[in-house]
Amino acid sequence: MADYDRRHGGGGGGGGGGGGGGYNNKKRRYRDDNDDYDRRDRGDRGGSHQRRRYDAPPPHVRVRKQLIAIAENPMKPWHEEISGIANLFTDNWDDELLRGNFVDLILQLAVEQPLKTPFLAGVVLVANTNKPEIVDMLLEKLTRLVETRVGEGEWRDVKLYLKLAACLQGLLDGDGLFPVLEELFSRAVDLQTTNSEDTIGTELVKIILLTLPYVMAASSPDQWQQKAADLMEKTEIIASEPHALQALIEPWHPEASEEHPAQSQSLIMLLQTQLQSEANSGWALSCLPRPWEFPLGEVEQQSKLASAPKHALPTIRIPRTVVAGPKPLFPEVFISVYGQQEVESVPPTTTAASSLIRDALLDTINILHVNRHVTARQLVEVDCYFAPRTFAARATPFDRLRDIERPKSTWKPEDVAVDAVFSQLFLLPNPEHKLVYYHSVLTEACKLAPAAIAPSLGRAIRYLYRNAPRMDFELSVRFMDWFSHHLSNFGFTWKWTEWVDDVELSDLHPRKAFIIGAIEKEIRLSFAQRIRNTLPEPLKPLVGPEKEKDVPEFKFAKDDTPFAAEGREIASLLKKKAPDEEIDAVIQRIQSLAIDREIDALVASTDVFVTCVLYVGSKTLSHVLAAIERTKDRLLDAGAASDAARTQIIEAVMSYWSVHPGVAICIIEKLLNYSILFPATVINWALINRAGKSRGGDLALAHIYELVFNTVVKVTGRVRQVVVKSNQPDSMVDDEARDAEIKGMRSIFAAIEDALTSWATGSKDEMIESGDGDSERERLVQRWGQRWLRVFRRRAAIEEAFLAEAVKEKERRAAFAAEQAELAASAPTAPAEVVGDAAANLQGEVGAGDLST
Amino acid sequence: MRGPRSTVERLDKPSAYFNNSRNKRRRFDKDQRDGDDDTSMQAEQREEDDPLKNATTLYVGNLSFYTTEEQVYELFSKCGEIKRLVMGLDRFNKTPCGFCFVEYYTHQDALDCMKYIGGTKLDERIIRTDLDPGFEEGRQYGRGKSGGQVRDEYREDYDEGRGGLGRAIAEREAQEKRRGHIEEGRLR
Repeated sequence: MADYDRRHGGGGGGGGGGGGGGYNNKKRRYRDDNDDYDRRDRGDRGGSHQRRRYDAPPPHVRVRKQLIAIAENPMKPWHEEISGIANLFTDNWDDELLRGNFVDLILQLAVEQPLKTPFLAGVVLVANTNKPEIVDMLLEKLTRLVETRVGEGEWRDVKLYLKLAACLQGLLDGDGLFPVLEELFSRAVDLQTTNSEDTIGTELVKIILLTLPYVMAASSPDQWQQKAADLMEKTEIIASEPHALQALIEPWHPEASEEHPAQSQSLIMLLQTQLQSEANSGWALSCLPRPWEFPLGEVEQQSKLASAPKHALPTIRIPRTVVAGPKPLFPEVFISVYGQQEVESVPPTTTAASSLIRDALLDTINILHVNRHVTARQLVEVDCYFAPRTFAARATPFDRLRDIERPKSTWKPEDVAVDAVFSQLFLLPNPEHKLVYYHSVLTEACKLAPAAIAPSLGRAIRYLYRNAPRMDFELSVRFMDWFSHHLSNFGFTWKWTEWVDDVELSDLHPRKAFIIGAIEKEIRLSFAQRIRNTLPEPLKPLVGPEKEKDVPEFKFAKDDTPFAAEGREIASLLKKKAPDEEIDAVIQRIQSLAIDREIDALVASTDVFVTCVLYVGSKTLSHVLAAIERTKDRLLDAGAASDAARTQIIEAVMSYWSVHPGVAICIIEKLLNYSILFPATVINWALINRAGKSRGGDLALAHIYELVFNTVVKVTGRVRQVVVKSNQPDSMVDDEARDAEIKGMRSIFAAIEDALTSWATGSKDEMIESGDGDSERERLVQRWGQRWLRVFRRRAAIEEAFLAEAVKEKERRAAFAAEQAELAASAPTAPAEVVGDAAANLQGEVGAGDLST
Repeated sequence: MRGPRSTVERLDKPSAYFNNSRNKRRRFDKDQRDGDDDTSMQAEQREEDDPLKNATTLYVGNLSFYTTEEQVYELFSKCGEIKRLVMGLDRFNKTPCGFCFVEYYTHQDALDCMKYIGGTKLDERIIRTDLDPGFEEGRQYGRGKSGGQVRDEYREDYDEGRGGLGRAIAEREAQEKRRGHIEEGRLR
């Protein structure tokens, strides 16, 4: 029962009050931490009348609280809860404050806490039996909101408002929501016929398919079967067409040798088939909650609902031109970490439940980023928001699922919730929020219900680990980042013993590389000794004694290092903050010595100088940053002297901090900011020098990938910023500057492509020359080349898509504005507010959604 | 400008600590200014001159004394590139004393950090983040009597990551012990 405990603080509205109409005022007062209201209330009324202690809060406060907390309490029967709220509302109809707030709050909840939408609809349906006027008020506002959001391209809000409207299908006149869905479809067709790579049309079809089930669940099933069939016959054409960009966002990257590489299925294609099979079984849609269905004992209420007045849905005008909106749109594929199990612990992809529950959870997760505690709570309590018996009991151990007798459900609510979060963590090209948000949701869920969630995470981790070799490399690194971060929140405990056999694998094996990378990441969040103590004996050697040294050795301390004396001299000059001339003298000396020894003089002096700066700043990052700041002119000169010298700067940093690559990466990032290094320097060093020296082996190192990836993100982020700015009406960025940035980015991607292609095809000189007959090693290196190549080709393609979209979106917005202006001119009575909104929106950024992080 | 009250409490708002000390100041200012009691105008002003409106800096508290800059970088970089990190130091020893300031390049990164990192663990301690109007020289030092943070003076629990007992309490206990020894000695 602990899981059912209502927590107050976390959830804004907190827990609801007692069920139905029977309030125990005294108890409520003490139980609800509602002094917030008390203060406000006294303030507003100027203390004109002192309320007595046992007064219940006024109705508008109670309705608000109860609406916000709707369906959260599994002990409260739905029909009682919705009638309770509806009656409290209609009984206080004369309260103007309440009447106004009610509609607004319902519309707000629909887009802020979408799991609750069917229950809100239930309240409206009951209220309709008493005060039908309220429905007209609601529908009026709802339709205007849909129009505004369509204008803005806020497609998720459009979907969520339509979901509310769909749940009200039972009280709508005529065909209800169908004309709107058909109108949306005709836009989708227009878009798809003019452009095969269009993503807006795909998004529209997705919205239609996700709204339709709610329409069907909200009304008597056979009434709309024909309409639904007609609509689905149309969507079939678009939904079954594989999208051009789909290959790009595929999370799995199987090896060519894999016999049956499982292809992920596109989300809308799945939806279409799932709904088709629902249609064939008379739209049972057994997972959807129907709070408006009253138990048999309440015949009277049920017949009142049936005979309540119907309402016309005001026309929703969908503009001829629709915009993509602020979030970049991509086709989506379905991913689950609980596939291939002996007992199904999540809805199989053949059922509509799979998509409908996932969709509602994803909206919840992505909307509630403002409070991860609430997100986690709604996830842990997912069974409150779907039909009874959709899930197995909470916290049922996986091993027990097989004892459950059919037709009882074996779907574990924890697995369904965790799966949804992982699907975002592994979403390509990027999820809506920073990856760390999804980390934090899993952390909170695990804190909230450890006994239920932790085992589910464990099974997900095992699945991902097993499949690491065939996962897209970018996602595999995301998995590593999440895994180490997650462990850092839970005392670094993991059953490493399960994986000890893999220690024997080559460091180039993706699973071994995962272990090495994950441990490295753990150490970066903690310290070596701590992490070594969490590892079983066979893994301990992966954390060598050198890792325990906080400060690396200074190579010039040893006399047999070339330029040892000069190195020590420069270091002491730097420590003394000696004048530049004194350092110059030593550098001159190094350079002439180097010439005598027939080595590159600039490279030699750069290596000594940079190593000394690092040594002087070795105590903390602040120290090294200060040291760089003080010597940045000399570093700039050194870097500018030659490509080889510039590359040597990175070489010096990476080798000085080779044991703590996290520090090296940080330093290189700052050197890029100072333009001491260029992105191309990093690419060349990593993919040509470093990879070459290790005969490709270092392509398996997560931190080398991190370095390159961060550098690319920096470049693309910069381009996006410039493009977005230059698309604004009063742009200060001239086209030339913008085009220069774009050109720079393209040349970086070209350099990466060049370097990686030879690794990926096995044509790299270092690979051919070595010829040590180790074909397994060659195969692994080649595979790493392919994995890298795939990541950066995708990045390049996504940036090109972004650039193309930015141009198109600008045109679309112009067309949309013209249409609005035309409309405003032809109908002077058109609601000024809406037109104003649309026009204001034109000032907004084009494609501001940043997917570069 | 601002929309209706959210149905869910946001985690990227300044803490009660910041608001309280600010309101105290505000109240004080008002007393000084006298007269003008137009509350609506005050509310408007609050929007206008909110020092956290574009804040890019966070105060980070409840760190272990042993947590390094590198660890802070590692965690906080998950919300965006860090522009500057200032470790809180003991005024006298110049050793870390359990807090720091993290500055990002953008306000959004700072807000995201409030939402996604505040209240999670670093170095196995739940850390606290608070939006901050910006670091100023001098603020890196502890303001407690003995040089560290004030909260570490009178803390009664034993916190290994923060030097054991509160310093004032540890001092008092040591004194009592010494006195006890003497008294014991006398009895014998």
